[in-house]
Amino acid sequence: MKITPGGVVAAEWTKFSSLRSTWITTGISVFLLIAFGMIASASFSGDNMTSIDLALSGSALAALSVGVLGALLGAGEYTTGMIRATLATVPRRMPVLWSKSLVAGSAALVTMTAGAFAAFVAGSAVLNDDIGGLGLGDDGVLRALLGAGLYLGLVAVLGVALGMLVRSSAGAITILAGLLLIVPGLAALLPDSISEAITPYLPSNAGSAVMTLTHADGILAPWAGLAVFTGYVVVTLAAAAYRLKTTDA
Amino acid sequence: MVPGYQGRPGSVDCGTTILAPATPSVVSMIQVREVTKRYGAKTVVDRLSFTAKPGQVTGFLGPNGAGKSTTMRMIVGLDAPNSGDVLVNGKPYASSKAPLREIGVLLEAKAAHPGRTAVSHLLALARTHGIPRSRVDEVLDLAGLTAVAHKRVGAFSLGMGQRLGIAAALLGDPAVVMLDEPVNGLDPEGVLWVRKLLTGLAAEGRTVMLSSHLMSEVSLIADHLVIVGRGRLLADTTVADLVTAEGVRVVTPVPDALRTTIAGPGVTVTSTGAEELVVAGASARVIGLAAAARGIPLFELTPQNASLEAAFMDLTRDAVEYEASR
Repeated sequence: MKITPGGVVAAEWTKFSSLRSTWITTGISVFLLIAFGMIASASFSGDNMTSIDLALSGSALAALSVGVLGALLGAGEYTTGMIRATLATVPRRMPVLWSKSLVAGSAALVTMTAGAFAAFVAGSAVLNDDIGGLGLGDDGVLRALLGAGLYLGLVAVLGVALGMLVRSSAGAITILAGLLLIVPGLAALLPDSISEAITPYLPSNAGSAVMTLTHADGILAPWAGLAVFTGYVVVTLAAAAYRLKTTDA
Repeated sequence: MVPGYQGRPGSVDCGTTILAPATPSVVSMIQVREVTKRYGAKTVVDRLSFTAKPGQVTGFLGPNGAGKSTTMRMIVGLDAPNSGDVLVNGKPYASSKAPLREIGVLLEAKAAHPGRTAVSHLLALARTHGIPRSRVDEVLDLAGLTAVAHKRVGAFSLGMGQRLGIAAALLGDPAVVMLDEPVNGLDPEGVLWVRKLLTGLAAEGRTVMLSSHLMSEVSLIADHLVIVGRGRLLADTTVADLVTAEGVRVVTPVPDALRTTIAGPGVTVTSTGAEELVVAGASARVIGLAAAARGIPLFELTPQNASLEAAFMDLTRDAVEYEASR
């Protein structure tokens, strides 16, 4: 009987899976991904979006939802007082953060990858006649769908890191929503020269580059974009780790 | 022996599953050494030192705000001391490979997510150490929570929350059990259960420490008392010593004559009135015999059997942090 890395992961999985909010939030994320994908696929009739872009048009809202899932998992430890039991049990502390991130990230990766494929299938089924359909074998389609799962998995980890960093559900969710939804809008208000330079590197823009098929100006290359987003997640995790290690619980 | 509780220190008896071989039991104890904790400008714990030893119940007493909870948080590494150190079973707590075996703690009621069931809560803690499910059921049963094992913790009463916390503390069959205000919110039956449990654990050779701001509660089960006020150690004593520290009240028309008669090493005499003395360091019997031998009349000869509560109040009077205005 001793602490093992696998044990801490199993414990975090138990915590994650034993909350009703986990299942509700996960369900909502998958629903948003599929429902918005279907609505956009059925109603859009322009020529600047491919069927995969349309199928994944729910990804921005799904990102917010899985981010909230992660944030609740991280900050919930503090808002409920559970953190005292957690850290008294694992006094080295760091394994808790890594395991929590791993559990939330993997769960989101698996469910959101499945959700992305489901959205593509459902979206193709109801696709507006004006849009040319794509198959899984077409260039970039598989990358976009798998990339959607990876991006959303990373957003869940970002949520965990923010939750553990700010230790408040409301605070973490506010920051998350701000980063993903509001910052891109604010950047557009800046002078064009600045706006054009930074917009591709904003978290949600960089991360969703991996899901886009057509590469317009002002969007990073797919994997470069995902790498930039991973950088944001790593930095936030490092800050959360530092706070976890050095401050009183 | 506590019913249903088969654990012994140094063993890894977790239900029926045999786990890792028992590490040779080192010293089971808590050592707090010159610990200081400051929050901003406020010193909450001030160069506090004491040791809680195996086989006895150590009562950790002090008024509200005396630094008891902070000290307990430092013992399990939740708070880091500004100076000094704490050893659990001879080593820093965080260096343990199996912390739940070293010490089981109840810190505050409901250090649990309200949305989780009692069994999920305990299972999450148990899995970190690979403790089997059977042990979770065992501690639930021990704490009398089997019937509500699948209820959400958020629906628990304060007393049930305390029982869950105590169940969590016993999960790893720990050598040291440390409980912060364990009887808060418990019904009389629960209070009795905690008392039996803790004395049983100490009788098995474990180190047991519990905090309280009520002397009456602690004096029933504690052998050893650590009394703090404003973060400082006020007394490191036993229940028996704390009571006998009082004196004998003597009323006599000739106090000066009595004073000289009983004067001697270790005897202190305090005048508390024109005809009244309080003598410490001599028993009523010795004083009475000495007075009779000299023909000194005594009107009253009363051992000051001040209650423990009064002794405690006396000791902590100057260290009360929050006091009602009079």
